[in-house]
Parts: sequence; structure tokens; C-alpha cells
Amino acid sequence: MSLSSQEASASLQQVEEASRRSSQLYFYHCSSPHLIMWGIIWIIGYGGTGLFPGYGLPLWLALVAIGTVGGIVLGRRYRRYGTSGPYAWRMGALWAIILFFVFATYAILPPHSGRQLCAYPALITGCAYMAIGLWRGLRYVASGVVVAALTLIGYYFIEPIFFWFAAVGGGAMILTGLWFRTA
Amino acid sequence: MEQPDPTIHQPVRLKIMAALKPLPVDEALEFVRLKAIVGATEGNLGAHITTLEEAGYVAVAKDFVGKRPRTRVSMTPQGRRAFEAYVAYLQEIIGASA
Repeated sequence: MSLSSQEASASLQQVEEASRRSSQLYFYHCSSPHLIMWGIIWIIGYGGTGLFPGYGLPLWLALVAIGTVGGIVLGRRYRRYGTSGPYAWRMGALWAIILFFVFATYAILPPHSGRQLCAYPALITGCAYMAIGLWRGLRYVASGVVVAALTLIGYYFIEPIFFWFAAVGGGAMILTGLWFRTA
Repeated sequence: MEQPDPTIHQPVRLKIMAALKPLPVDEALEFVRLKAIVGATEGNLGAHITTLEEAGYVAVAKDFVGKRPRTRVSMTPQGRRAFEAYVAYLQEIIGASA
């Protein structure tokens, strides 16, 4: 039994395709709990800010801390398998980077209204999903497009915007997480 | 050049091993997901998994999620070594002809 170089090349292509697809599905699977957790945080954060505007900042700071710790815990859940895999703690770190970017932007370019304050992180999140999707699969791109579109619709057309983001933004993230679980 | 491993050489089994390879050590892939990746029928996939299991290349775990049965397949260290050797064999053939 021996193979020609063409047969060997075709076999290697099959190996690469199966490995790529498997990695993609596993990434979806591992991303799912992070997305669901952040969806819940969005609902609490935006809903709470809408109900009690004066407590918006401390509420979000507390939620960001919870989300960061939660991201690390969820990452460790996969690390205990002895992973050399591609994500684990990186998903938690990704959210920390996004949040840092948002707060840093607020410091440099302070928003002029509650609508801007509210819509900006959601828009950044949608764009981050799309960027991740360029490497990790179309489901992320589709989710990013939905989150960004809902953000712009909310910004321009919906009142009160905080409850829009709580229900639609947070709900979209939770549904995305559940969708990824089915991958 | 040495002969390829006949267990992995079969195309469906090669795809199964390729799908399991990127997973972290001891992490398993559900049968339904494996089926979607490999593109084989249920019976065909099951038969090839049994062959790989008998060779010691994969481990199969069966349990229940609620009332639904679930089959999960993972690559053993022996399987990982065999798969890496097979991929090296393929690369050697391509390299030799270049």
C-alpha cells in the first residue's frame, strides 16, 4: 500500500478541513456560556440603569467585575481538561479588553447624552463579534451584525433606549449563546 | 518509506481522527457533531468508531442527558501518536515528490 503525492495531498486537505470544522464547533461550544452570562449582565445593567439612573455607574462597575470573574471561572472550566486549546481564558480577556476600550474612550471623548453612553459599548460589542467571526466562523459574524443593527435602530428610533438594550441587546446575546450551543 | 497505518488510512476514519485531534486532551466530541463534521451516515460512522476503538485510538463514553442518550468520542494518547505519525507520513510523501 503506497500513496502518490496527489493522494497524500488530498488526504492532508481532508485532515485540515475536518480539523478546522471541529475547532470551529468547539469554539462555538466554549463561547456559549460566556455569551449567555454577558447577556444576563446586559439585561441587569441596562435595565437597572433605566430604572435607577443615579446608580448606573456603580451598578455597571459591579457587573463588569462579576463578568470578568465569571469569564475567568468559565475559562478555567475548560482549562481543567488540560487544554492546549485556542480559547479558555481568552474569552474573558477579550471582554476585559472591550470594556477597557469603552471606558478609555469615555475618558478621552466623553459622551454628550445617555443615548451615546448606552449605544457605544453595544456597538463596539457587535463589531467585536464581527471581527472574531472573520477567523472563527459565520455565526459570530451574523450575531455581530444583529447586535450592531439593533444598537443603531435603538439609538435612532427607540425610546426609552435603556430598556431596549436590556431586552433586545441582552436577549440577543442570550439567544446567540443558545444558538452556539447547538453548533 | 514505511507503510501507512491501515486503521487510520481509511478516509472516514482519517476524518474522525482529524476532527478529534484539535480538541484538548480528554475532551470528547459528541457523536452527532462528529457525524456533521465527517459527513457519514450514522451506521457507517458507528462502525468506523468501533474499529478505531478496538485499535485503542479512540475512547467512547455513553451517558444520558436527561432521558436522552449521548455518545461521546475522544482521542486516546495512543491515537494521537498514531495520527501524528500518519500525518507525518503524508507530509513525507509530498516532500519526497517536491
